[in-house]
Amino acid sequence: MKAEVVSTYRGGMWSWLFQRITAVLLIVCLAIHLVLTHFANIGELTTDNVAGRLAHAGFTAVDIILLAAGIFHALNGLRMVLMDYWFTSRSRAMGLSIVLWVVGLAAMGYGTWALWPWIS
Amino acid sequence: MPEAIFRIKRHDPHKKEEAPRWDEFKVQYEGENLTVLEGLFYIQENLDGSLSFRYCCRASICGSCAMYINGAYRLACQTNVRHLTGNIVTVEPMPRLPLVKDLVCEMDDFFAKYEYIKPWLIRNSKDPDREIMQSPADRHKLNMPVDCILCGCCYSSCPSVWGEDNYLGPAALLKAYRFEVDSRDEARRERLPLFANERGVYRCHTIMNCVEACPKELSPTEGIQWLKKAAVRRRLFGRAK
Repeated sequence: MKAEVVSTYRGGMWSWLFQRITAVLLIVCLAIHLVLTHFANIGELTTDNVAGRLAHAGFTAVDIILLAAGIFHALNGLRMVLMDYWFTSRSRAMGLSIVLWVVGLAAMGYGTWALWPWIS
Repeated sequence: MPEAIFRIKRHDPHKKEEAPRWDEFKVQYEGENLTVLEGLFYIQENLDGSLSFRYCCRASICGSCAMYINGAYRLACQTNVRHLTGNIVTVEPMPRLPLVKDLVCEMDDFFAKYEYIKPWLIRNSKDPDREIMQSPADRHKLNMPVDCILCGCCYSSCPSVWGEDNYLGPAALLKAYRFEVDSRDEARRERLPLFANERGVYRCHTIMNCVEACPKELSPTEGIQWLKKAAVRRRLFGRAK
């Protein structure tokens, strides 16, 4: 074992903590999302009615939180798996994190953009 | 006279031309009991003097004779042949550790990591004239981690160790827990950065192989989870412990 390799590694707490926080957010927001989508009565399932539901600020807020939590939770989980077996060095792990942040932010931007017409 | 058949995995990695092989020995014993270690002694003394294995205390307290016996991590001195299923005793070295010879594993990394987390009481205040007081409730918290005998079963069984050579592993982290949870220990910054990183506690994914492997029935995972939470508490809320 190279002790200096271990001691240069400081990160990990935020990644671990946010994995737990987003897990709780996912459970709550997913439940709200499913209940509102499947059980809230919006009348006939027409474009206007669905658009009306999406325009509701609370519903959109839940959807955006769900999107952010889902993306973070999924990509961070993927990072953990990849780091365990392939990205073991510090520089590779950093590179992996940067790539995943770019992918995550792009997915977040795209998702928000898709919801935008209903918000504004 | 009862008889047990020992199937032992033999290999000397220094002899590159020799492949690992299984040797079979018949061990006769008197009375009701034969531990696997006694069987190995019998084989070494009477059947094959070249058999290599580690042992020391013969009372399951030193952790030297940890082996993979009949598909499970066990201490050879603690395992009665009569308690194993069937009459065949399969003995292998602990998997996934570098091999020295036969049943002897290389433990250098294991002990380097153990030493790395500073497994001793760190004190900043002046020592009192008499012994440092500790309440029974505080002492109770140490009951689980102090029983670790450093046999290496948890370390050998941990998939996170298999994937990452620099991961400290369950035994070293359980020892860090043993001192962090100790009311007499005053380490604030000395030990925390050593284990609160992704080569330390955050590499543990609570697979719990260590809990299943431990011959002393301890729970390194419980200690590691406590350390994760303690690291967050200290960093976010500035708690001393």
